[in-house]
Amino acid sequence: MRTSLRFFSRWQNWLGLLLVSMFVVVAIAAPLLSPNVPEDPSAQKAIGRVTRLEPQPPSTEAPLGTTASQYSVYHALVWGSRSALVFGLMVTIFSAFIGILVGTTSAYFGGFINSLLMRISDAFLSFPIIAGVVLVQQIVTSILYDAGVAFMRVGGTFPGSKGVFFIPENLSAFLTWLQQADPVPVAFILFSWMPYARLMNTGVLRLKNTEYVEAARVAGVKNSRIIFRHLIPNSIAPVIVMAAKDVGGMVLLQTTFTFIGLGGNSPWGELLALGRDWIISAGGIFTYWWVFMPATVALLLFGIGWNLLGDGLNDALNPRTQTLKY
Amino acid sequence: MRNLLQHLMKRIISLLITLFIITAVLYATVMFTPAETRATLFMPKNTSPRMTEQQYQAMLNRMIEKYHLNDPYPVQYYYWVSSLLQGNWGYSPVLQENILSAIIARTPATAELALFSILLFIPLGIISGVIAGSRQHKASDHGFRITAFIATSLPSFILALILLSFFYVDLHWFAPGRATSSISNVINSQDFRLYTGMYTIDGLLNGRPDVTLDALRHLAMPVFTLAIAHWATLGRITRATMVEEMQQDYVTAARARGLSDNRIVWGHTLRNAASPALTSSILSATSLLTGVYVVEILFNINGISSVAVSSMAFIPDASAALGFGIYNVILVWFLMLILDVAQSLIDPRIREAV
Repeated sequence: MRTSLRFFSRWQNWLGLLLVSMFVVVAIAAPLLSPNVPEDPSAQKAIGRVTRLEPQPPSTEAPLGTTASQYSVYHALVWGSRSALVFGLMVTIFSAFIGILVGTTSAYFGGFINSLLMRISDAFLSFPIIAGVVLVQQIVTSILYDAGVAFMRVGGTFPGSKGVFFIPENLSAFLTWLQQADPVPVAFILFSWMPYARLMNTGVLRLKNTEYVEAARVAGVKNSRIIFRHLIPNSIAPVIVMAAKDVGGMVLLQTTFTFIGLGGNSPWGELLALGRDWIISAGGIFTYWWVFMPATVALLLFGIGWNLLGDGLNDALNPRTQTLKY
Repeated sequence: MRNLLQHLMKRIISLLITLFIITAVLYATVMFTPAETRATLFMPKNTSPRMTEQQYQAMLNRMIEKYHLNDPYPVQYYYWVSSLLQGNWGYSPVLQENILSAIIARTPATAELALFSILLFIPLGIISGVIAGSRQHKASDHGFRITAFIATSLPSFILALILLSFFYVDLHWFAPGRATSSISNVINSQDFRLYTGMYTIDGLLNGRPDVTLDALRHLAMPVFTLAIAHWATLGRITRATMVEEMQQDYVTAARARGLSDNRIVWGHTLRNAASPALTSSILSATSLLTGVYVVEILFNINGISSVAVSSMAFIPDASAALGFGIYNVILVWFLMLILDVAQSLIDPRIREAV
């Protein structure tokens, strides 16, 4: 009860919760808000002829206009919220899980295991995420190439342009899955668990020699029970705060990668990439505002929402640490 | 001086350990790929891009034979690391050249962008953070907080779109790329010597200020885009520590002695507040580097990022993947070192303790 009171004491926390719930509602109600075409359930729905390049202003068919090649902005916006939410939550939950696992085991067992695991996490910390994306991308490409999958870009190499895969007939189920899977979330998970491990490590190291843990050990409680009942619940608060902020950050990064053509399949990023040449034209931001503004505002609000929610969780969960009130 | 050397030694050792772990992990991941992919890692430096399909295949087979690429992981790892140490980082089928020389040739463009941004955002971030923090709840503080909040929430590519639309298309002030075509003709000509590969510095060294000006005109937008997000983060942390610092007893004591506010802020609290903020910058050196690459791609600068872009060509290129990774680990180390030096310039405690 006290926890939730602390959360609702600042209006910023309310705003964060409101923004995040808004995206959750849109994500759940996506099929109602903008029905899919059954034949092509992707986030980009074409309105009219795809060959027509110039973005069209809002109409009854496309409430927020169309981007280049006549893809509906509104449709991509709605389905993009779903994709962003799924991506952000999936990546943070998995990387936080790995971080908690590594941080807790290393701190609990201490000694050599601790220094080894922390060394490894330090090494991963100096590996930029973009290099991780390149690595995972290349591994997948090599395996597929060896199995005879070929790829060709069509319609130029501008950002957001799609390609065509030539797939051999008897491809195994695993390789088919690999071909459709997106390497970006894998790379993000593999190269963003380290801060969580560090946080968890410091937390557990501080707790493990406290008297009540000592008492539990003397009383003959099993290792696993001490870890899961005492150590993790009592040091997980900063991890949750960080994870909440990361959801927004990860989606911003994903959108950026999609925009510059490094994968990621973010519908919002694709939207802006498709409209790129029209936005960068004389007065483009104002002339083609419907190409630029909706996705930008959605992206900003998504980032701000999760950031504020993270601050709010910090108020609620770590009352003793003074929030850095920026 | 001796402390400094010791500190440097410590950093070098930690780099070696990091490199060992990273190379071991990297090679373990390429073990999932077929031997032909790994064979490109061992191709000699002077591999010609003009080989027929058969010649290329024969070469791959020879590499597999010679470097035991069907043997267990430790054997292969040993061969790979020894060839890395000999300076052979492998042949990139996409870039059609040796990956190490390809990356080194592209480094000056990246370094120029990163250095200018660091030189811009560190002083500005600290100064604005200190000003805002020492005038808590005043107009300048609110102004800073709002600007910084927007700057941290705004993805760099959105900012790039806005900048390109206004300053490139509408006003013609700045341009993407590295140089105007007439200037790149000058740069590529015989009597223009490339000392550093950074056009701004080389222009001055060659006595051609027009080259420097043109390079700066092309650097303005990317440097601004890159600096703004890091300026905001650094400024916000400096502000937060500054607010705490202003409530310390020594500040009250200095006030009681009648020191002016300016003297207290710039003479006393600045160093205490800026140092922890810079530590956070050092810790985010990897994200700074990712940011550099993103900005390079956004503004069409042919830097190291082009290796990342070419990896999307769906042609197996293990050399590019591993070379890019290892090179980045070294670059991150360098960035941390630079920020380290900046921190020790500001904070005498660190200068003495290192």
